Amino acid sequence: MTTAKPDVRVLDADTYANGDPATFGLPLDQYSYLRDEEPCYLYEFNDPMLIDQAWVVSRHADIWAVDRNSELYSAASGYVNMWKVTPLDPRVGGKPAMLTMDGEKHRAQRGVMSRAFTPRMVRQLEDKFRGYAVNIVDAALEKGTFNFVTDVGHTMPMEALGDVLGVPRSDRPQFFEWVDTFAAPFDTRITPSFEAVANAIFSLLNYSVELAELKRREPGDDVITQLAQAQDVISEDELMGNVALLASGAAESTRSALSHGMHELMRNPEQMAWLRERADNIPDSAIQEIVRIAAPFTHLVRTATSDHELHGKEIKEGDIVLMLFAAGNFDERVFDEPDTFNLARENNPHLSFGRGLHQCLGKHVASLEMKILLEELLKRTKDIKPAGDIQYVRDAYSRGVYQLPVTITAK
Amino acid sequence: MKVLRNAKTCELHGECVMAAPEVFEIEDDKDVVTVINPEPSEELRKAVENAVLMCPTASLQLEG
Repeated sequence: MTTAKPDVRVLDADTYANGDPATFGLPLDQYSYLRDEEPCYLYEFNDPMLIDQAWVVSRHADIWAVDRNSELYSAASGYVNMWKVTPLDPRVGGKPAMLTMDGEKHRAQRGVMSRAFTPRMVRQLEDKFRGYAVNIVDAALEKGTFNFVTDVGHTMPMEALGDVLGVPRSDRPQFFEWVDTFAAPFDTRITPSFEAVANAIFSLLNYSVELAELKRREPGDDVITQLAQAQDVISEDELMGNVALLASGAAESTRSALSHGMHELMRNPEQMAWLRERADNIPDSAIQEIVRIAAPFTHLVRTATSDHELHGKEIKEGDIVLMLFAAGNFDERVFDEPDTFNLARENNPHLSFGRGLHQCLGKHVASLEMKILLEELLKRTKDIKPAGDIQYVRDAYSRGVYQLPVTITAK
Repeated sequence: MKVLRNAKTCELHGECVMAAPEVFEIEDDKDVVTVINPEPSEELRKAVENAVLMCPTASLQLEG
């Protein structure tokens, strides 16, 4: 199949800011072109804040293979995404975290945190999460019409991550304000300046050290306690980096997924009705379909460790290879009717959480948060409908929703 | 059908537990997944194959 060549701007913030709500806010035609015609595409950025260039891989199978091959595609060069500078890059004053490590070092660090995120541990949080969901829906019903992103999408991940990490409740709003500021550095509605970004990162890193000291004195059943106590494996710098990583991975992404999901539910009344019928116990297929179309982080990058060829292109040692998850999630080589929002989708190996050893640590937490929040919302409302147009965050990495006005009616 | 798990590479991602809960479990205080049913019956083949495919660290193998 040949597709007419579109202007390829799949990593341009304005592409996502001006996304078409009828195609999930995503440039699906450009993704399709890349997968079919240029499956290994050299993208030039031309922005001093971003890396110079990257090889964009967009097919599901290629992204899967790159993510699974950490020897050829290293995560340890410091780059996380298309940003030239990230808070996790020690070369530029950032702090190291497991996402920018390979091999044994990565395994040892992830091992300190992983037990808190297993399916069984996460299930134990269900009652607590349900309590948060009930409060969120209470407040939403009282308002009637509100911005779903801030009034519903924001609170759940904040409280849930606060519990898992062990951030005291009174500190959570401030903690997440810092995270929000550096999660969307290209949207001036959210972040007025790069100085604000730097300040937010600095404040969060310092706070994590204070919190670790508190946890050493008063240990809790939480991840920061585990990090603080694992001083043989995790240095203070690494503690700071890992807290920043967990916080930024959890806050914006879950809120984005919930918001994109709610937008699609309102666009597809038959899907909303299907879900409403199952509000007592929402099936995992529904959550994973929302995560597929949301693709909360469009991509991550790796660095080639040796010269090699991919789809006829010469990739050199040190070149950046960019896994465009959002494009892989709509690959018709893997997904039946990929452009259809189908909550009952059976075969759904989406890439939104990654598929290699850096796979999202919080995937079970995020899935449970979304399940419980949607259950409570659907059980207690008879109608949810748009009260205005969706607006997207201006960013090509973190695919946030800026505004989703809704009106809900109590049952 | 026999399930093999590499304890050196398993990182408790939990994908196998989601794919085949009859075969895999994450026990408290264990650093790697426990194969609770190392020789599962034939009707679990699809679930176990899926667990093998989904394991992010490629720590699972299926023999037979």
